Amino acid sequence: MTEAVQNYETLKTDVASAAKAHNEPQWLVDHRVAAIDDLVDLGFPNMQRFQYSDWTLTPTDEPLEFKDSDKSLADSVPFADDRIQFVQAGQTTVAVNLPDDLKQQGVILTDLFTALHDHAELVEKYLFREIKLGEDRLTSYHAAYLNSGLFLYVPKGVVIDKPIEAYLIQDSTRKQPMVSHVLIVADNDSKFSYIQHMATVGDVANAASAAVEMVAKPNSEVHFSSLDELGENTTSYLKRRANIGDNATVDWAIGLMNDGKTVGDFDSELIGKSSKADSKVIAVTSGEQREGINNRVTNHGKRSTGFILQRGVLLKKSELVFNGIGDIIHGASGANAEQENRVLMMSNEAHGDANPILLIDENDVLAGHAASVGQVDQEQMYYLMSRGIARPTAQRMVIRGFLSAVIGAVPLPEVRQQMIDILERKLEDGQQLE
Amino acid sequence: MATLEIKDLHVEVEDEEKQTKREILTGVNLSMKTGEIHAIMGPNGTGKSTLSQTIMGQPAYHVTKGDILLNGESIIKMPVDERARKGLFLGMQYPAEIQGVTNAEFLRAAMNARRPQDNQISVMAFLKELDKNLELLDMSQEMTERYLNEGFSGGEKKRNEILQLLMIKPSFALLDEIDSGLDIDALKVVSKGVNSLRGDDFGSLIITHYQRLLNYIVPDVVHVMMGGRIVKTGDADLAQKLEDEGYAGLRDELGLDVNLVDED
Ligand SMILES: Nc1ncnc2c1ncn2[C@@H]1O[C@H](COP(=O)(O)OP(=O)(O)OP(=O)(O)O)[C@@H](O)[C@H]1O
Ligand SMILES: [Mg+2]
Repeated sequence: MTEAVQNYETLKTDVASAAKAHNEPQWLVDHRVAAIDDLVDLGFPNMQRFQYSDWTLTPTDEPLEFKDSDKSLADSVPFADDRIQFVQAGQTTVAVNLPDDLKQQGVILTDLFTALHDHAELVEKYLFREIKLGEDRLTSYHAAYLNSGLFLYVPKGVVIDKPIEAYLIQDSTRKQPMVSHVLIVADNDSKFSYIQHMATVGDVANAASAAVEMVAKPNSEVHFSSLDELGENTTSYLKRRANIGDNATVDWAIGLMNDGKTVGDFDSELIGKSSKADSKVIAVTSGEQREGINNRVTNHGKRSTGFILQRGVLLKKSELVFNGIGDIIHGASGANAEQENRVLMMSNEAHGDANPILLIDENDVLAGHAASVGQVDQEQMYYLMSRGIARPTAQRMVIRGFLSAVIGAVPLPEVRQQMIDILERKLEDGQQLE
Repeated sequence: MATLEIKDLHVEVEDEEKQTKREILTGVNLSMKTGEIHAIMGPNGTGKSTLSQTIMGQPAYHVTKGDILLNGESIIKMPVDERARKGLFLGMQYPAEIQGVTNAEFLRAAMNARRPQDNQISVMAFLKELDKNLELLDMSQEMTERYLNEGFSGGEKKRNEILQLLMIKPSFALLDEIDSGLDIDALKVVSKGVNSLRGDDFGSLIITHYQRLLNYIVPDVVHVMMGGRIVKTGDADLAQKLEDEGYAGLRDELGLDVNLVDED
């Protein structure tokens, strides 16, 4: 035990000196060090019906290091001058394209570490305020070993009509964990869509700890969508949390297309009165892949409304567990919490679970849930096949329909098509063995 | 010329809740060729939809006796998609809705399914054909960009069935109550669509409750089905006679022992 504690003391000194050498403000250095203390004490977040405690998600034997990546890792990103884009390969920010008029209105889109200097006060005010110390081992590791990310700030009243695109490329051409933090602040009355595409280049086995921390201030409206496409050799922890203020709305449309082991922990905190969250997640698992998702909406505010929709497709010998957690806190009168969790089993050897969990500590509320573990809709199959479409193609069409709640919510046609293509590839590959 | 022959067809369905089987078709005989339009009329619940679904291969319906031959070849063991590619089409009474797949994409997939891999239809040729048929059916371009049947009104779904029919051009179209829920204008449009395919390479089996449709699509042969089989066959005048006299008259005339729905 003393040996372990001593190890942690060494970790603390190592992390602190790496952070200082990286010119980080003292408060962040202190935060990292405090997070290492938590690492000692805390366990992995609880995920019902899903066992993942033996995964390598907190590789403390790999030091905190800041190293550039080759910009060519981002070659596949579709750059365009007329779009709002942020591109990061490994820890290297490859491109930021923010139109002048948005800059003039005070919009900030930049590398997280640059923001720590250029927008020190704002970042200090919001970074690690929603994803806090003392939660669990995975968030602690994340804070202590943070090595990349971005900061997006949309000031009061600013409405952006084009989606803000972020491309985050994991550099797995070398051994190093991706510990990426996306901080999004939507100030009062702002409105925008943010779309994030995460992918892996290279096939070195690595851990990824990727977080999105969002504050949606009163009356703001944020549409978040993601295409998560981390590689087969990446073991990933995805943490996404939003604090949603009075009358604010946050929509999540999360497309989990990772090829590797994944645990996702998503939180919508409906803090404000009449706040709204719509948390949609789709996932496709294949091979021996294992994936567990907690999708939690917590109603704190009066008349707050939370929807959870999760849909998954399981191929081959994969495992996928969806926990939908609707938590209504005492005092949230007039709150509404609805959820639907469904998985489609495309193979007898797959293991799927759709698990609704309602925790209600208030009388005056509406809550409901639906869940199913089933097969492809036979009536739809029959209809398509009656037009001559062969069974495998028909199946892929029906599945695409089953997942369309998220695909349809992706604001960029190009990314939507990418999601469809990845889906088709995964399904075709998974169907071959049947 | 293509042929479709139904020989002494007996069909059962299984009631999954009660675990019982029930015979619905009790020996149907019917032969048709391309170039002909046949109509089937008959009281509710007599097995008309069952017949069309069985020809198409809906898995809930089990053939216990008899056969179905398409161009002399038995199809009762064939999967649904293969029957379709061999030339059968079923315009359904209740078409399914499929999210996430646009109507246009679906139509192209259906057309390509019956073409060889190395001779898929080009985008240009597809759009040209689509535009032509949309115009014929008085449908907007927008309908083809929507998800397949999703949120379509009853009439729009029916029109969409006919659009598929015109794009796919099967040898035999089984049309199950294609007129139900249509307003007068839509009825004319749908009839125009079907009539546009009339010719030596096309045959149709039209299920309807109303003589009115048959004024627009004049059948060569009319069959009456009762109690799970065809009890009388005649020309277009038979439909008119039924319209005037109802099924009870015919049943009594033929001395049949079947219950009609409105009697119990
Ligand atoms: N899948 C099924 N499962 C159970 N019973 C069925 C099924 N399909 C048909 N039936 C029963 O078989 C009988 C014939 O039904 P069918 O739909 O073929 O009648 P129909 O002649 O088309 O009637 P309608 O004019 O009302 O459309 C009915 O009693 C119906 O309830
Ligand atoms: Mg019917």
